[in-house]
Amino acid sequence: MNDVFPQASSSDELLLDPGMRVLVQGINGRAGRTHARLMRRYGTQIVAGVSRSGGSVDGIPVYATCAEAVAATGAVASVAMVSPLAVAAAVEEAVAAGIKLVVTVAEGMPVADAVRTLKRVRAAGVRWIGASTPGIAIPGRLKLGFLPDVALAPGDLGVMSKSGTLSYEVCYRLVSRGLGQSLWVGVGGDPVKGTRFRDLLPVFAADRNTAAVVVIGEIGGSEEEELATAIVGSGFRKPVYALVAGRTAREGLTMGHAGALVHGATGTFESKRAALTAAGVRVFARIQDLVDAVVSAPGSSNGGTSCS
Amino acid sequence: MMLLEHDAKMLLAERGINVPRGVLARSPADLPAGFAPPVMVKAQVPVGGRGKAGGVAKAIDATALAQAVTRMAGTTIKGHRVRECLIEEVVTGHECFVGLALDEASGDVDVLMSASGGVDVEAAPRHMLSARADFDRAACAGAALGLAVRAPEPMRAAFAEIAPPLAEAFFSLEATLLEINPLFVRPDGSWIAGDAKLCIDDNALARQPGLAALIRSRADAYPEAAGKLESGFDFAVLDPDGDVGLVTTGAGLTMQLVDELTARGCRPFNFCDIRTGEFRGDPARLIRVFEAMAAAPSIRTILINFFAGITNLGEVARLIAAAQQAVPRLSVPITARLIGNGYDDAVSVLAAMPMPLAVEPDLERALDRAIAAIWRDLA
Repeated sequence: MNDVFPQASSSDELLLDPGMRVLVQGINGRAGRTHARLMRRYGTQIVAGVSRSGGSVDGIPVYATCAEAVAATGAVASVAMVSPLAVAAAVEEAVAAGIKLVVTVAEGMPVADAVRTLKRVRAAGVRWIGASTPGIAIPGRLKLGFLPDVALAPGDLGVMSKSGTLSYEVCYRLVSRGLGQSLWVGVGGDPVKGTRFRDLLPVFAADRNTAAVVVIGEIGGSEEEELATAIVGSGFRKPVYALVAGRTAREGLTMGHAGALVHGATGTFESKRAALTAAGVRVFARIQDLVDAVVSAPGSSNGGTSCS
Repeated sequence: MMLLEHDAKMLLAERGINVPRGVLARSPADLPAGFAPPVMVKAQVPVGGRGKAGGVAKAIDATALAQAVTRMAGTTIKGHRVRECLIEEVVTGHECFVGLALDEASGDVDVLMSASGGVDVEAAPRHMLSARADFDRAACAGAALGLAVRAPEPMRAAFAEIAPPLAEAFFSLEATLLEINPLFVRPDGSWIAGDAKLCIDDNALARQPGLAALIRSRADAYPEAAGKLESGFDFAVLDPDGDVGLVTTGAGLTMQLVDELTARGCRPFNFCDIRTGEFRGDPARLIRVFEAMAAAPSIRTILINFFAGITNLGEVARLIAAAQQAVPRLSVPITARLIGNGYDDAVSVLAAMPMPLAVEPDLERALDRAIAAIWRDLA
């Protein structure tokens, strides 16, 4: 498997290996219990849970701390299913235990916590996906989080998204037209986050299984503009298709995601469209237009035929 | 979220930042005795550029003051209706700029100071002193002090004095942006905040009881944030005269639906992220949304869109049915686009309703149906 996660701050690389051993923090909560079972059913090697309760959940041994879980099972990745105010402490515990990849799904992590967590994972060389992410998947092989099975299928599209539901809709339609994903990463809708769009560019550039990239962005922040700069700066050659939600959003009104807020000319649809277009990205306003364009692309594994 | 100027200044004053004396008014009748012109009248909306949009006026006498309040109240600035005005004593001095802004990509804080502030500050970036500081109160205060010494007197003294309380306010309020522009500096080095732009972190409200209490007590000024504190989900009225109500889950997909409906000539009434995964067998969220829509006579149709990863659609359909029964005066046609487990069960539950819902698995066709319902109603 060639999917790698180069670190933003060092040359170390982290293998995202479908056989990697994964623990679930907060496994005794409602979501933790459900998703541990579903991830395992998908093929992910869930080797441990972490919860003060101990014992086991659906046959998965539960340890009181990450350190004990790592020592007992050799887990290298963690999916944290904890409440928003507990995310920072959960990541800290995972990092201290030697975990190398942490996925945090909770929506609503305070920004100050996210900043401190970001500094911590960078210093430790740990890859953090989230907060507020539905997860990450190599379809058919590995799922960390809760991307819906109905939208997942093996294929050659690299997907990066700020929004869970909008990516479900886009990928569901692409899958129904015969196009699946090589790797799907939800980066989450928060302003400060572990992994930003631009951090994923080298991953998709290096991944031989990725033929084209689908970017699902939205108004607010500067991630799409940063991505555009990185595409130009790195000479990224694969076709990139983008959808940017929130064209009609009002300045000063937060649209659900903490990061989806326009101030003056910053974070607007036009700013993002202009930057991405200048970088050679095809930007779409309608979901169906993006889907049709990806399906009919010359290099598409669908051969340019429509099967709707 | 951005706080209104009045509330931002109140919070800053509590933290040692000088602000003008001021009161909120909705109409000339609200003006307290003893608040004699000349005064400033400032529309309270959470956007920049109010002055250029007619939202700031100086009133030299009581007549002008009453006229200014009457003129601004009820107008709309950049999509925000003016509910109230801030009436303030007039302050003067040399216009400067000070600010702290979280840089999202690095997690550091940009510290900004300029001896030439005012409405055109962004047009004169060469005058801006800036430094990037660690995300830490002392580091930001130190960086601001470092910039202050590069400014000429009397700004140097003023900047040095405001640096510590500015950093204190930014961190204690868990702000992501705090700008004071203009900061009026007088020849003797004394200073006062002419305007304040304060963006706080909505996600921190759970551990900021003072801010949460402020938002709850001013629910009419912050309907979206106050509603979320009460209900646990996101709902925002976008167009009070809108024709299509959205009962949807997912912020990104809802934003996209608003865009696509607008592009097709509709007027979406609201934004909504109801989060089906948090229903837990209770129709309360659906009832809350249906009630808001029943109270909006302009709504001609409702589009439900639930892309459920895990939630069973049969259970969701029973909650929709319960909510519909709880809000019988909601009589417009409803199209439900549902994807997930239990689809057939959901279809039979909703088909058995006294007012059957149209169920549709395809979003494009669901949009077509909703739009067709608007046109049928108009015909």
